[in-house]
Parts: sequence; C-alpha cells; structure tokens
Amino acid sequence: MASGSKQEAGKQSLLFTPGESLLHKANPLTSLVIMLWMISAAAVLPTAGTAILVLAAITVSMATGVGKRSVKRLLITMTPIGVALIVVHGLLIERPDQTDLGLVAISPDGLDYALKVFMRVAAMLMATLLFVTTTHPSEMLKALDQRGVPPGVGYLVASPLLLIEPFSDRAKAIRDAQRVRGLDLTGSWKARIIALPILLMPLITLALSDLDQRASILSGRAFRAFPRRTVINAPHDSTFQVWFRRILVAVAVLQLGIPLLWHF
Amino acid sequence: MALLEVHDLAFRFPRAEKLVLDGVSFSVERGERVAILSPNAGGKTTLARWLAGLLPDGVLKAERGHVSMDGKDWTEWHIAERSSAIQYVGQVPSQQMTGCAFTVFEEIAFGPCNLALPEAEVRARVDEAMTVCNLRHLVDRDPFTLSGGEQQRLSIAAALAMKPQVLILDEPTSNLDPESRDDLLAQLELLPGELTIVVLEVALRPSLALADRFLLLDEGRIAVDGPAIDVLTHPRCIETLGMTAITEAGRRIQNAGGWAEGRPLPLTLADALQTLQVPDAVR
Amino acid sequence: MKFDTRTLILMAAAVVINIIGGQIAHFLKLPLYLDSIGTILVAILAGPLAGGITGLVTNLVWGLILNPVAAAFAPVALVIGVVAGLLARAGWFRTWWQATISGAIVAVPSTIVAVPIIVYMFGGVTGGGPDFAAAYLLAVGQSLVQSVAFSNLGINIADKAVTALIAWIVASRLPLRLTSNFGFFEHSRV
Repeated sequence: MASGSKQEAGKQSLLFTPGESLLHKANPLTSLVIMLWMISAAAVLPTAGTAILVLAAITVSMATGVGKRSVKRLLITMTPIGVALIVVHGLLIERPDQTDLGLVAISPDGLDYALKVFMRVAAMLMATLLFVTTTHPSEMLKALDQRGVPPGVGYLVASPLLLIEPFSDRAKAIRDAQRVRGLDLTGSWKARIIALPILLMPLITLALSDLDQRASILSGRAFRAFPRRTVINAPHDSTFQVWFRRILVAVAVLQLGIPLLWHF
Repeated sequence: MALLEVHDLAFRFPRAEKLVLDGVSFSVERGERVAILSPNAGGKTTLARWLAGLLPDGVLKAERGHVSMDGKDWTEWHIAERSSAIQYVGQVPSQQMTGCAFTVFEEIAFGPCNLALPEAEVRARVDEAMTVCNLRHLVDRDPFTLSGGEQQRLSIAAALAMKPQVLILDEPTSNLDPESRDDLLAQLELLPGELTIVVLEVALRPSLALADRFLLLDEGRIAVDGPAIDVLTHPRCIETLGMTAITEAGRRIQNAGGWAEGRPLPLTLADALQTLQVPDAVR
Repeated sequence: MKFDTRTLILMAAAVVINIIGGQIAHFLKLPLYLDSIGTILVAILAGPLAGGITGLVTNLVWGLILNPVAAAFAPVALVIGVVAGLLARAGWFRTWWQATISGAIVAVPSTIVAVPIIVYMFGGVTGGGPDFAAAYLLAVGQSLVQSVAFSNLGINIADKAVTALIAWIVASRLPLRLTSNFGFFEHSRV
C-alpha cells in the first residue's frame, strides 16, 4: 500500500505539476535552498546576469516538464509589470538623456533601468515558480516535520492550501446563484458594493463555523500531543544534498554580503 | 467500576442564562452500545463533547459535576492518552476532516502520527481502518473531494486508527442522503464487538441499528434509561422527539407483544426497519 | 510563543477568508483589495501576533498557489495584522466607527512598508491598479517615491477602512460560544 502517487492528490489550485525530474525527486529543502539562492543572485546580478538566470530557469523548467505552467504564469505576471515599467521609467520619469520624439520623450537610461528591474523580478519569479511547480506542499511539510518543526506551523500552511479550493468553488456557486436571482455583479458602482456583503458574508460565516468542530477533531486526534510527529514516506535526503544545501546557503549569503561590504 | 461515568454534570455557555445540561448522571459499561435520544437543540452535541473529554476547554467549564473514564476525571488525562481511549465523530462530514491532510491516507494517519508511533505501526493501523471502513479504493483522494457519506466513513476510520475503547457518534448520519445513511449504518454494524459505542441522536433509525440501551435527554437531564421499548413508549420521548410515527410503531410492537422481554437486542438494521415499518420521512 | 489549537484553526480559516475576499473584490471589479479581512478579524479576536502571522502566512500561501509576487508583500500583510492588533488592544475596535478609523490608521504603516518594496524591488510598479494613479502623479511632476506613496496610500486608506469595518461586523456577529474562548476579544467588547 503506497500513498505515493501524487497524481491524483495534485490539487488543481496548486501550481504543483507532477513529474519525475531531478527537481521533483530532490528533497524539498534542497529545492527551497535553490530557490533562495536564485533570489539572492537575482538581487545582486547585473541585467545580463539576471537575463541568463531567467533563460536558464526557463530551460530547466522545460526539461523538468513544468515549463508550460511556469512560463504561462511568468507571462501573466510580467506583462503588466513590463508595460508599467516601460511607461514609468522610459517615458514619465524625467531623466537628462530624454530624447523628444514629438508626442513623447523617451529615455534610454530609463529603459535600461526598466529592463534591469524587469529581469530581476522575472528571475525571482522564475525561482519561486521552479520551486512551487516541482515541490508538492505535503512533501515540503513532511520535510519540515522531519526537521522537528512544530506541528502547528505545518498546520497553518497546509490547512489554507487544502481549504482554498472548496471555498473558491463555494464562492463561485454563491455568485452564480445570486446572479440567477438577479443580483447585479457587473453594473454600477452602487450595485457592486451592495453585492459585496451578499457574496462575502456567507463564506466568512462558513469558514468560521468549522472552528469549534475542527478544534474538537484535532484535539481528539492528539494534535500537538508531542513536539514531533511520525513522518510517513519521508522525502529522500542524502549526504550529497545536505552538503549541497550548506554550500548553496553559504554562497547565497556571500553574494549578498560582499557587495554590501563593497559599499562601505 | 463503569468505563465511562457522567456524574451530576451541569453546564452552561458563558453569558448564557439557561443550563444546557442540568444534572446529567449515567454510566456506560465496557462493550455497551448506548443511544442517547434528544430533540434538536437538546444539548446532544454539548453532552457528546463532554463525554469525549473535549470539554472542559478554556472558559467552557462545568457548573458542577464531571465526566470520568476508568475512574479518572477527563481533566487528568494527557491528550495522547485520552485520544487513545475515546474518539468522537460529529455531524457535518466536511467538519470532521482535520483540514491538513492532502490524501485519505494522510487523514487516517494524522492521529497515529501525532502519537509519534513507529511508521510500521501507523501503516498497519491505517490499513486496518481502511479495510473496516471500505476506503481502500479512495486512498489517494483529497478528503475534501469525497462525498458526505465517504467523508463520514473516513472520519470513523480516522477515529478507529487511534484504537479507542469508546466511540462517541454525534448524529453521524444526519447530514447524509438516505442511501449514504443506510450504507454508513451497515458499516457501523460491522465495527468490532468489543468497541463501546455511544450514539447521540434525534433520529430513531440509526439508534435502533446500533444500540441496545436507550437514554432520553430531556431539558438537560436524563429522563429515561432502559431498553428501546421503555424509551420508545415513554410519553416524554414522543413529545420531545415529536415523532408520532414512532409512537405508533412503538405501540404496535407492544401490542403485538413482538418486542417484549426476551427478545434480544440490538436488532439488525433490516430487522428494525421491518419490525417498525419506519417511514423514510422519519429517518 | 504557542497559540492554542483553536487560535491556529481561526488563523487558518482567516487565511482562506483573506484570499476569498481578494478574489471576490477582483470579480466584482472593485478598486479595493479586501484581502485582509481575515487578518484584521484575527487581530481583533486573538491579538497582534496572531494577526501579523495570519497576514504573513496569507501572502506566502497566495504565493504558492496563485501569484508568487504576493510573497514579496508578506511584510506588508504582517504589519497590517500587528498594527490592527495593537489598535484592538487599545480598545479601538469597540464600535463600527472606531473600526473604520482604525482601518484607515492601519493603512499608513502598511503603505510605509509597501512603498520601499514597490519602489526598490519592482521599480515603482505593481502591474495593478495603483500604477495608473502613480503614472498620473509622475506625469504631473511628482518624484517616483512620492507618486507610489500617494497612489498606494489613497487606495489603502479606503481599502483598509472598508476591510476593518467588515471584520468588525463579522466579529460582533459571531456567536458567544465561538468567541468566549478568545480572551483578547474582551478588548473590543463594549
């Protein structure tokens, strides 16, 4: 009997995409450290560096089978940011190198800066996406359990992840039901303000109504009886991964720290 | 010494005027199957939580009296000890989920893992509970995507995995459709014989399927305590539960002399339904 | 620090309320976020620490399932919870109008934390509504920091006032058996 197949367990609302790649198989802590290292690198690298980082991350995501989802999410998030950056830095902020093009004045320096920020955010985003698309939250929580992180901490992250989807579905059901009854969800300002409590209140009440019962259930199941719980199917770890993580953490700290020292 | 003992329990919610429980006393012996009948808002859930040791809790304290198991007041039990002694399953299926297990397997394993049992022991317990509750085919499913009936079976499995001596069932079938309800009741009949069960109900059918002793909780007190026929034919029962059909059924049995002394109880579900001819609307 | 189990469950439910609130505001196309109702509710019921952690976890969870950018604003969510909790402790969530004012007050420190994140990490843009306001302010000659600060502060004050009011309404309508075990709520009782 195995509870291994996460295929069925993979919830729709999660960005996690099942797979067999190295990143999928890596200990969740290793994936987490890789993400943190990438974020720290993105914070200090020049534009060319972050651009390479983004390309590398996209390549890795393609190779691990999570490419489609990651890139889609990347585009959805970065397109409006990109447009806003070009407008704000390329056109609006007054810089000495602004060249007048008739209707608008464009600043190459501003565009450079916009590109820099864009690539930095994109690299950080890709780092996060690589982590969340290849690491199932339950594996991450097991890894934390294994490390002796208090069960309460795990609960606080796991429970919302599990409850969001049923509640989102419920929100949509309420919205549709109210729409059928003639509630105006797209009309005037006033109409939408009136719609707000009608949609919101039942969901809030529902979310809170579980409180007493769930407290009973958790207490009945010996939740937090001991500081550590048994971990079933603990994620695989190895000496190599342990050392890899240590080195990567050290590098991450150094690459953030050295430029800081430089400034002083 | 009785296994579970309620001694003159009186309780009210903070700032509330009325006592929910007003001097409840009774005891449950090892291996007994007891049904506590009460109308809606009659204090069933509150009593169930006291029985299961989930109350007192913070500011929710007894006005007087206490509940003890094996002669020891619930307040003296460590949470790990208590959860291995008694388990509770409530009404609303989705609320019986721990809310932090991604699969049916994890949901059942949650309790045993909290007890820090060895991995092999946890697996064995989950395996056994899944067999008893017929959940094997759902092992990798997300608990929140299950039907109400499946969720109730799951919460009973999760309770059984704690290897309790007593199982408290608080209207376990009230939120299920008739078909799932019958399935669940059939499942409950298969529970190990040594398990002590207390079921709190407003509906007669699940009680008859499970119990051989009946208590009537009325106005915060135990009004009747005895075999089914005593409670069924008790005027207060008929009045408080408001189920004339039951009166009818009860009388019929009595008149026919078919359910008098000497007739062994509990009945099987089919047996009970046939004898009583309980209409579906009554539950 | 150890929260009791009931508080933990409340916090988890509040994270869900935050995210659902945000989604509803989005599909009603309201110019508000409404993604802190749960955070402020927890702050009222269980105090600044619980409120702050609820905010923090909300943005981390949001980052996991919907939009990783949200994680960058986790410190903002934390500040919202902590400040609302401190105001609740001072008795500033007793009436609906106190709650509304408290919400507006919460907007100030939360904007102060948000602005550097927006300006230095995202170059002054968020890819959302306030960008338009910021762009306008820039066009009329404000500096980037000022533009971002004013545009966000304006929306934040409105948003947090409404959010705090909703949280207050929810809290005041909760049944006694639910709230009686949250001792901190006494600070907000009339």
